[in-house]
Amino acid sequence: MGTAGPQTAPLLALSGVSRSFDGVRVLDRAAFDLKRGEIHALLGENGAGKSTLMNIVTGVYAPEGGRYLIDGAPAGIRGPKDALKAGIGMVHQHFRLVDRFTVAENVLLASGQLGLFANAGEAARAAMEAGKAVGLAVDPAAIVGELSVAERQRVEILKVLALGARIVILDEPTAVLTDQEAGALLLAIRKIAAQGRAVVMITHKLREVAGHSDRVTIMRAGRTVISGAPVGTLSAGDLGRLMMGEETSPAEAAEAGVIEAAAPITIAKPGEERLIVSALYAGGGQGSVGVSDVGFTLKAGEILGVAGVGGNGQQALAEAIVGLLPVAGGHLTLDGWELGEFSVARRRDLGLRVVPSDRFASALIGELSVADNLALTRVRTGRYRSRLGSWLVGRRRMKREAEQAIEAFAIAGATPARRARLLSGGNAQKLLLARELEESGSGVKLLVAHSPTRGLDVKACAFVHAAIRKAVAGGAACLLISEDVEEVRALASRILVMSAGRMVGELPAGASASQIGALILGQA
Amino acid sequence: MAKLDRVRMAGFLAALPLIGGMTLQRRQAAGPGLAMLSFLGGLAVGIFIGAVTLVAAGVPADDLLDELVVQVFLTSDGLAQTVVLATPLLLAGLSSAVASRIRFWNIGIEGQLWMGAIAAAGVALFHIGPEPLRLPLMMLAACIAGACWIALPLLLKLRLGVSEIVLTLMLSNVAYLIMQHLLFGAWQDPSGSFPISPRFDDAATLPGLGWGDVHAGILIALIAGLALWVLMERTRAGFHANAIGLNPVAARAAGIPVAATVVLFVLLSGALSGLAGGVIVAGTEHRLTQFIGINMTFSGIVIAFLARFNALATIVAALAIAGIYNAGGTLKVFYSVSDGVVVLVEGAVLMCVLIGQFFSAYRIEFARRPATVEDAEGEAA
Repeated sequence: MGTAGPQTAPLLALSGVSRSFDGVRVLDRAAFDLKRGEIHALLGENGAGKSTLMNIVTGVYAPEGGRYLIDGAPAGIRGPKDALKAGIGMVHQHFRLVDRFTVAENVLLASGQLGLFANAGEAARAAMEAGKAVGLAVDPAAIVGELSVAERQRVEILKVLALGARIVILDEPTAVLTDQEAGALLLAIRKIAAQGRAVVMITHKLREVAGHSDRVTIMRAGRTVISGAPVGTLSAGDLGRLMMGEETSPAEAAEAGVIEAAAPITIAKPGEERLIVSALYAGGGQGSVGVSDVGFTLKAGEILGVAGVGGNGQQALAEAIVGLLPVAGGHLTLDGWELGEFSVARRRDLGLRVVPSDRFASALIGELSVADNLALTRVRTGRYRSRLGSWLVGRRRMKREAEQAIEAFAIAGATPARRARLLSGGNAQKLLLARELEESGSGVKLLVAHSPTRGLDVKACAFVHAAIRKAVAGGAACLLISEDVEEVRALASRILVMSAGRMVGELPAGASASQIGALILGQA
Repeated sequence: MAKLDRVRMAGFLAALPLIGGMTLQRRQAAGPGLAMLSFLGGLAVGIFIGAVTLVAAGVPADDLLDELVVQVFLTSDGLAQTVVLATPLLLAGLSSAVASRIRFWNIGIEGQLWMGAIAAAGVALFHIGPEPLRLPLMMLAACIAGACWIALPLLLKLRLGVSEIVLTLMLSNVAYLIMQHLLFGAWQDPSGSFPISPRFDDAATLPGLGWGDVHAGILIALIAGLALWVLMERTRAGFHANAIGLNPVAARAAGIPVAATVVLFVLLSGALSGLAGGVIVAGTEHRLTQFIGINMTFSGIVIAFLARFNALATIVAALAIAGIYNAGGTLKVFYSVSDGVVVLVEGAVLMCVLIGQFFSAYRIEFARRPATVEDAEGEAA
């Protein structure tokens, strides 16, 4: 070990690194190393410790013991600034961009070359050149707030390249992209690595590991169960088993690898027409895409999938149905009720339920307790009225129902009094489902689910899908808006493709990913 | 994407780089013990800084305990005077707390207080209504006037998104000028040349409780405090207001009546400030004077923040701040300490308590470089 010279030493090497938060050990003697020119996949479920490990690499957290070497010498990284100096750059899952600035200004801001008089020219131009070299061209004069998600991600990558990073860490880079966009990104990542940099790709998609990386490190419960194994030595089944542990059933492993392998959903017989959308116009303007002339019918017991690249009017469609965005033209009817003028509350009373794309921004309140979050939509209805008066809220029933929901939906780490923000992504989503679908699910007429599994691990995904299926089997209709083609294919009984605010095609349940992709591309 | 900003911001704060090897980290969960400890710790540091300030301003260190604690809380006369001062402060604190719950920043407590005082004085001076109903009418008028004075900023915020901070602040000046216009004009006491109104009739003054200058206003304020506690902690509207304050987007998407709740809480805030004005003129001054609203906005906000927008805690915080003011009055007379120093002490205590609260939510972490280096060197050798 000690004899390794700087030439042969790995670019970066960590060993025996641990980390605890409030007495909970989230990282346990982890080991990780990087070589020049490689793409290194970091695989693991939510909460396996991937983010913590990378936060140690980037100097956000201090490690508790262990070694951290860069080029064979102690890294001496005491904060994010030191990591940047050492050439370590990270592209976060939630972008950190100034929406009102141009691409060039954002890159300049990150480059650290901001003097008294900002010369947006030089630094930005260099970054654009670097971007072009790897196939990530973005208009430097474009306002970031008006770019698509994929373009914003490119800006984030350019920021890292502008810093001259030797190590590029990408956190779930394809989570927000369509298959086509993801393909382009993976190609660019390969070029970045070919320039002699090392790329870390945090992911929980097995496909990306197998097809697009050189080595893989797998984490489970804070440990690195495999560290830096060549990808060719592991089968998809091995990867799944290592990631999820031995107790994982074959079905779950199969679902992780190829969702197509899961049994296709078969709904006995669609019932009466539940949601009718005709010639709907809503939203749009100020850089966002609205809904233009959209029409479809959704029956009880049916899951209608809406596929498409994010930012093509999906948000407006969901918000118009939910009642957060006024209808500018056309009609929306739910069980015969014209929704146009109805408040959110009245729509909910009709049985409309929502799982939005960003749960902590628009559905859950992180600083409120689990019980309060469950009661959020129901207090209004007088469900928890105290014996002393209908305008008083009785906490006892709230707490009891919360305990039941935690058990029924297996929300790990939750107690009625615990704040919702302390839950992991998957468990927060379970909390939201518990509220929106309830146990009986009898009151649910229409579920609008927008990217319901974004950022969730395999088990949580399976749980969400099962919950949706159960609600639909109970007579609800579901509008599933998702950028994940595989999710739409796995769940939907019919598939609509949305592009530039319009529905550009309809496909039956058995449609292949390439058929859907062709429709998306045809209009884009 | 704008909705992501909150998330991004939280992530940013969670790992804010500080000087050198320090980083700031959000605690997973702050227990009640830690929260109380950080509150008391902040309070202790604040009182220490306040004490040092007072000593520097010329108060003998030996007298501090006597002046700040014994004379204002532990003697009957002193406590009575503290309670008198606490009466409007409690109402102002409740006003700030109720608006802050839904994150409406009412920086115009003084303006609403002036308008409440003017309305109450108007009822008293023009003998409106039968004598037995005079006081209730005055208090009602004060509440309505205060609510009206905050209604304009509220309307502009709801309809046009205008910042309530600037509007409520500016309307305070307008109210002050209206009051001056009246006191230097139509409402001036004809029997003198001072800018004060004539004295109210007995029917228009709040009865004393037979303990120093303490009057029935304290009962009004305490009842208001209890009622607000029930409203904010136990009712449907209070539950909704809490959700709106923490995440208005999620509250709206959950079908909560956001606009109605906001209107209710903001108008209540204005009404409470107006009531404070009514209680001062009817209980303490027995006439309209031009100094009754001074510092009430600042103090109300301080009290509400110290109490973390909890109505019951507001009662305690109002008494504490009133104690500082009471002591300040004595210090001014006997040690020639200026008004500014008293406000300085108040501000120091508030800042320290708020900083203490911050540390119950975040923790500073130091990167331990030497350990890693030694480890590495040991390995190499």
